[in-house]
Amino acid sequence: MRNFVAVVFDDKAKAYKGLHALWELDDAGDITVHGTAVVHRDDLGRFEVDSKETHPVLATAVGVGIGALLGSLAGPAGVAIGVAGGVAIGAATGAMVGGAVDLDRLHTRQQADVETGLVLGRGQSAVIADVSEDGTSAIEMRMKSLAGTVHRRSKSSLQDDATIDDGFYPYDDYLYPYEYIPSKYASYYGW
Amino acid sequence: MSKTAEAHPIVEDSKVRDVLDHARAVAQELHGALTDAVAKRGGVIKGDLESVTHDTKVIADSIRSSLGAQNAATKRYIEEAVTHLEATAAHATEALKSSGRAAETSIQQAISTARAAVQKISEAVAAKRSAASKPQMRK
Repeated sequence: MRNFVAVVFDDKAKAYKGLHALWELDDAGDITVHGTAVVHRDDLGRFEVDSKETHPVLATAVGVGIGALLGSLAGPAGVAIGVAGGVAIGAATGAMVGGAVDLDRLHTRQQADVETGLVLGRGQSAVIADVSEDGTSAIEMRMKSLAGTVHRRSKSSLQDDATIDDGFYPYDDYLYPYEYIPSKYASYYGW
Repeated sequence: MSKTAEAHPIVEDSKVRDVLDHARAVAQELHGALTDAVAKRGGVIKGDLESVTHDTKVIADSIRSSLGAQNAATKRYIEEAVTHLEATAAHATEALKSSGRAAETSIQQAISTARAAVQKISEAVAAKRSAASKPQMRK
């Protein structure tokens, strides 16, 4: 089954351990990872996607794509917010998702709790991944051992959400299709 | 950017990875190297583009040669991946022939189709793994 998962951790270092663990599961053949990204929410509530410094067009694309995906993982109500927020973060290298999904707003938080449970608190980080998995236990067990909380939505349900926004469906393209770890985080592993 | 396919020749090694797994790794590396080249140097150079045309052909030939051993779903993804790899090579060739804005556009298209190729190879790997796991699940 093709799913999008968001694994929430209390800090960035753990998020990168989670990212590494996902690719290890892929390497072992337990799951197949199609793409990943790491997202942080700072103490002011802003979202930031760790991305390569790259051409402004690509930075914009990553921002739009990840912004929309964050919104979708928060449930149907988040789709429009996420896309709009993603567009707003546009050209900023480093893909700042400023207010892409304001989960502090009560109605949004309540809806997210009901639909997916995805709430990224201030100071928390999350690994977002597009995976194929025959069961959920491999990711669940591994992330539990790293103190991560797994949220999952099927790709088909996200495609259904996309119809809300005239079929805008960016999610396949903007996650890194390999284990990308910015150099500033690589030191967590001694690389 | 080095010629990734030469640095990691795609050979069948059942102890480590099969052809498809290995092709995915090389395609991932190619996409990463291409985006790194754009990010770190503000653009790709002739050698990068020549490597892209060479490596995409090696990957395409490799996965195409494995078609006979694959199930229907995996075959479909492989065929789509080959289409994207050929498009990547075409965009890289076009970038080599052009300059300025036109070259930049071709490079962005090469990155986009390289990403799509990795995606399709990854989906082929997933389809193959899923098919392999089903007999065990029935036990």
